[in-house]
Amino acid sequence: MKSFLILVVEDDAPVRTLITTTLKARDYRYITAGNGEAAVMQAASYAPDMILLDLGLPDLDGVEVIRRIRAWSNVPIIVISARSEDSDKIDALDEGADDYLVKPFSVDELLARLRVTQRRLALMQGQQSAVFENGDLKIDYAMRRAWLKEEELHLTPIEYKLLCVLAQNVGKVLTHKYITQHVWGSSWEHDTGSLRVYMATLRRKLDAGAGQSFIQTHIGVGYRMLRMDPEHSEP
Amino acid sequence: MKRKNLLEIEKSVGIFLGATLLSMAFYHLGFTNANIIMVYILGVLLTSISTSRQIYSLISSIVSVVVFNFLFTSPRYSFTAYETGAPVTFLVMFLTAYITGSFALRYKEQAFSSAKSAFMAQVLFESGQLLSKAADREAIWHTGATQIRKLLARDIVIWPVEADALAPGRYEGKNVRSYDPDHAMKQALVCMQTGLSCADDAGPGALAYYPLRVQGRTYGVVGIDRNEPLEPEEQRMLLSLLGEFALALENEQNAREKETAAILAQSEQLRANLLRTISHDLRTPLTTISGNASNLIANADCFDRETKLALYTDIYDDAMWLKTIVENLLYATRIEEGHMSLKTSEELLSDIVDEAVAHVARRADEHQLDRLPEDTLMLVRVDPSLMVQVITNLLDNAVKYSPAGSRIVIALKACGDTAQVQISDNGPGIPDAEKSKIFDKFYRGGNRIADNRRSLGLGLYLCKAITEAHGGTITVADNTPTGAVFTVTLPKEEVLLNEVVSDPGR
Repeated sequence: MKSFLILVVEDDAPVRTLITTTLKARDYRYITAGNGEAAVMQAASYAPDMILLDLGLPDLDGVEVIRRIRAWSNVPIIVISARSEDSDKIDALDEGADDYLVKPFSVDELLARLRVTQRRLALMQGQQSAVFENGDLKIDYAMRRAWLKEEELHLTPIEYKLLCVLAQNVGKVLTHKYITQHVWGSSWEHDTGSLRVYMATLRRKLDAGAGQSFIQTHIGVGYRMLRMDPEHSEP
Repeated sequence: MKRKNLLEIEKSVGIFLGATLLSMAFYHLGFTNANIIMVYILGVLLTSISTSRQIYSLISSIVSVVVFNFLFTSPRYSFTAYETGAPVTFLVMFLTAYITGSFALRYKEQAFSSAKSAFMAQVLFESGQLLSKAADREAIWHTGATQIRKLLARDIVIWPVEADALAPGRYEGKNVRSYDPDHAMKQALVCMQTGLSCADDAGPGALAYYPLRVQGRTYGVVGIDRNEPLEPEEQRMLLSLLGEFALALENEQNAREKETAAILAQSEQLRANLLRTISHDLRTPLTTISGNASNLIANADCFDRETKLALYTDIYDDAMWLKTIVENLLYATRIEEGHMSLKTSEELLSDIVDEAVAHVARRADEHQLDRLPEDTLMLVRVDPSLMVQVITNLLDNAVKYSPAGSRIVIALKACGDTAQVQISDNGPGIPDAEKSKIFDKFYRGGNRIADNRRSLGLGLYLCKAITEAHGGTITVADNTPTGAVFTVTLPKEEVLLNEVVSDPGR
């Protein structure tokens, strides 16, 4: 899966070079764009397998680029943000981005994020079965039951719903807003507190048997279920 | 006015009748006319003391003579008098009565006037005292208004000048007489702009306007009911009082301007210090980064692999250190400029701690990080990235200030309606003398840091500022046997669980 085509959208030349050098060293193929309009055109012309999108582009808002691309494609998008506030990342994720990186990021982080998304793509290409499997976790959507290492998990209705929302988007960072809307159908103010608590109890049940944590917290932004690759234990 | 007159007429008549009755009694007792004349003179005297105008004593004198003639001189009950020299008697009687009456009246007026002067002087004196002691601007307005009302015993309105414009009138007396606020405001404005006093035409709600003016600057306008004109002495006293009033306002203004200037100077100083410190502390790692990099560029082939690796590692370490410093600096400048706007959300305290531990994990590989299990889940309302920074800074310090192999313990506790994070290390600890200073900006302790890097001294300052902005507290105590324990306490949020799922079907 490594001869992936990645579209790198970054206006700052040194950062762009850093990214492309990293990709080259790991045998990824890449194309580049220096602004939003070029990015959209490149995405349309070359149909890359993944897009790395800097949010601070000179011509278009990063979120706008995502919106345009999402109009015809579900290509995974990882956004790169230079701002410390979470709002731009949350907006990007709500608009359809899959993951985010914050500058300054280390090369390891970049590669890790790429791998996560790759695995998600691989999973998506054999989808729509009634049974979800991820490492030791198994969910049977039809029977509404879940197992960890062959032992059944006893989950409350909300915990089960939470688990499903995460599983259906495995590898993707889901914002708090997205999750609360899918679990509770609305965005009541205290849902954030509820979400935190239910997520914590769900996690305890999941992590009880496993060595690794299935659910990754992105503080201030959201949560993600990690794809448990049989060879690597952690992205 | 009319009531007063009526009362005084009644008094005069009453006194006159009393005098007449007494005279009749004397007559029947066989006293001489001389006694009766004395009684009437006494009556006139009493009349002038108890009335306010000379006319009463004048009429009283005339009527006394006439009635004396009628009732008591022979022939009685007639206006003729047989006695020789009776006309002279009558004249002398009249003059005596009238003149003593007049003097009595004048004396009374004099006494009253002196008392009033003394009172006004007293009010003026105590105004000076009160105005100089007034705590703030509001107190000055209030005191000035009260004193003017006290001095003149009439209603007033004050229009303070705020930000070079006239504010609406206030400080009116309790029995506010009818005056038209809009018209009065316009007149007051004219008074303020010209700096001269002016007055409405007499009528209901008419006011006289006086500016509160010192050194060519107007601080306010005072409007005084003008339907009863002020006596000259009252006018003089009023102007003195207004002068003191204006002076007090000016002093207060000057004091405030001085304070603002001092604060500005101090913040400029702080800013200069900050810039100096930043440039100094950033230059060091930048020097080593550029130096190492240029060495590698120039002499790439001369260095062996180990040396090169060491240089690369130094460049990386310096860059990471710079990153931490810059983040802390950005937070510090946000606080200083007052942009500490918190974007809070409900977060699990354990999530915050997890994130901080993840940030520090790489730097803490030579230390033992123990996370004690928490008894219950605790929700706090915080700005997540800021609170993560607090815990990260505390953990960083624990790592920096304790030797390799030390144990750092992280404990989460619920304490009533607060949530606590406790970070303890078993390093050398912090001496009591320094415990209060460590939270100061740019304070760097005497302890040497493990990797010999000087810190910017901002870490704990930020921890305290951020924690307190969240309504929490941060404390330091000694650990046993050695080391320090930092405790961050935050208000705990109620956990309100929404137990209703949206569609149970899916």
